[in-house]
Formats: sequence, C-alpha cells, structure tokens
Amino acid sequence: MILIVGGSYQGKTKFARNNFPECRYFNQLHLFIKKRLQEEKKPIQILTEIKDAIGDGQWVIISDEVGNGVVPIEQEDREYRDITGKILIELADEAEEVYRVVCGIGQRIK
Amino acid sequence: MITLIYGGSSSGKSAFAENYVCASKCKNKYYMATMSANDNESIKRVNNHRKMRAGKGFVTLEQPVDIVDAIYGIDQIDQGDFSTEGNDDIILLECLSNLVANEMFRDGLVNSSDYCVAKIIDDLKKLSQKVSSIVIVSNNIFEDGREYDAGTKDYLRALGTLNQKLSVISDEVYEVVVGIGIKIKG
Repeated sequence: MILIVGGSYQGKTKFARNNFPECRYFNQLHLFIKKRLQEEKKPIQILTEIKDAIGDGQWVIISDEVGNGVVPIEQEDREYRDITGKILIELADEAEEVYRVVCGIGQRIK
Repeated sequence: MITLIYGGSSSGKSAFAENYVCASKCKNKYYMATMSANDNESIKRVNNHRKMRAGKGFVTLEQPVDIVDAIYGIDQIDQGDFSTEGNDDIILLECLSNLVANEMFRDGLVNSSDYCVAKIIDDLKKLSQKVSSIVIVSNNIFEDGREYDAGTKDYLRALGTLNQKLSVISDEVYEVVVGIGIKIKG
C-alpha cells in the first residue's frame, strides 16, 4: 500500500495518477473517517474497514492532513482530528511508501 | 544541544520525540510536563502520555511555567544534577504550545507575545547551559486558513515566533508527519 498525505488542494490526486497509474485508489480518506465517526463507529472499526477494503491488489490511499490548525472548540472536531491522525500513523507504519505532497510536489518520506 | 520537534495534532510527534530521547546517550532523562490538566479531556491526554512513556526511565518534572526553575527544583531528585556543568542530562520539553499559553495567560493577566517569546527564550537558554541536551516538542497550529480574534492571533504569533527563533538555535529540527520524522535542519 502507498500512502499519500498533504494539505487540501496540493495536487495529491494528480500526483498519484501521474506516479501510480496502475493502482486502485482510496481517495479522501479523511472524509471517510469523518462519515464513519458521525455514524458513531469506533476508531478500531474504522481502521479495520479500511484495511479490509484494500485487501486485494496494490492500493494508493490519499488523505488530507487535518491536524495542523488551532485546537477546535467542538469536542467532535477535536476527536475527528485526533482519530484521523492516529489512523494515518497506523497506515503509514504499514505502507511500503509514504509521500507528502506540497504544491503538487510529492516528497517521499518513507 | 537543542533539538526542535514540530508537528500537527496527532502527528506522532510525542512518540517520535520519546524515541529520539531514549536513543540518546544521555544517562538521565527528564520529562518536563507543561500541561496543567484541570478538565477530563486534559487529564485523559496526560494519562495517555504517562502510559506511553512508562518504563522508559523518565523522571517527570511538572513545570507549567518558569521552566528555568527546574534547575533549582532538581536538587531534590537524586538522579542527575543540573547545578553542575558538563553533565549527562537530557530534557524532553512537552510541549511548547502549553508553555506559551501558561506564560501568556498567567495570574489573571494576559501577557504580550513579545514578552512571552523573550521570557521563554531566556529561560531555555539558561536551562540549556545546565544540561547536555534539550528536546523541545512544538506544535503546528498554523495551517487551518482561519482568521482568529486579536487574542488568539497574538498567541499564534508567540508560538510561531518561538518556533522560528528556536529553529535558529537548534542543532537539529524535525517535522513529524504521520509518525515519520523529516529532518529539516541539521
């Protein structure tokens, strides 16, 4: 599995298409996590669902980094940020390659 | 030696910093905790951090403000001695964002960013002369594209200025992203 992270509108998807055209994509992982949290799923259930989804073939997971701001006032916003961060750490640990995209440029960090 | 470790919320910066400190050759490891936990969420956060560093041989110093005072307070702890030069001590300061908030909103007053930056830099310089190494964990809270009130802006200015000043005097600077430390200086 290949993990691509970065801020919004940095060209992550374009970078993925250009570099990994043969792969299958799990795009906007952060929104997937947000949706599942709204359905009151536990972080471990969400992580398991993600891993099950990428069982077959070579996958590219793409996600926004969402933890680089002022601590949100709402508890659920803080929880969303924390859980997204933790899930990304888990996925990065298992990924063969990790890229961070800034201004369309992907920097390989693993 | 000063090391700055910077990252967003839940970026894995604390785990990275602890591993970094544990990999150092320094004999005495101090964990300087700056968060004063007085609500359930903070207490939970503090407990998680305690669990994470359990068994790693850290001596915890609770220092929500006036970090320079650790030099004097440490005499009560057998291990290590900050009062003598050229020792074998390493401090992990966790984290700068809490320290800035505590220095800024103190004794019912609101101190300016200029004051907080100058004070913290001064304290850190004095502290760094007494120990072999200080590892500072700091936060990226600057990229949500929102506009904040004057008070919050001054807090952001203080933390941002400190990050810049510390990176100048640091030997190594890392940015942690999804648990991976990217060396950006040193």
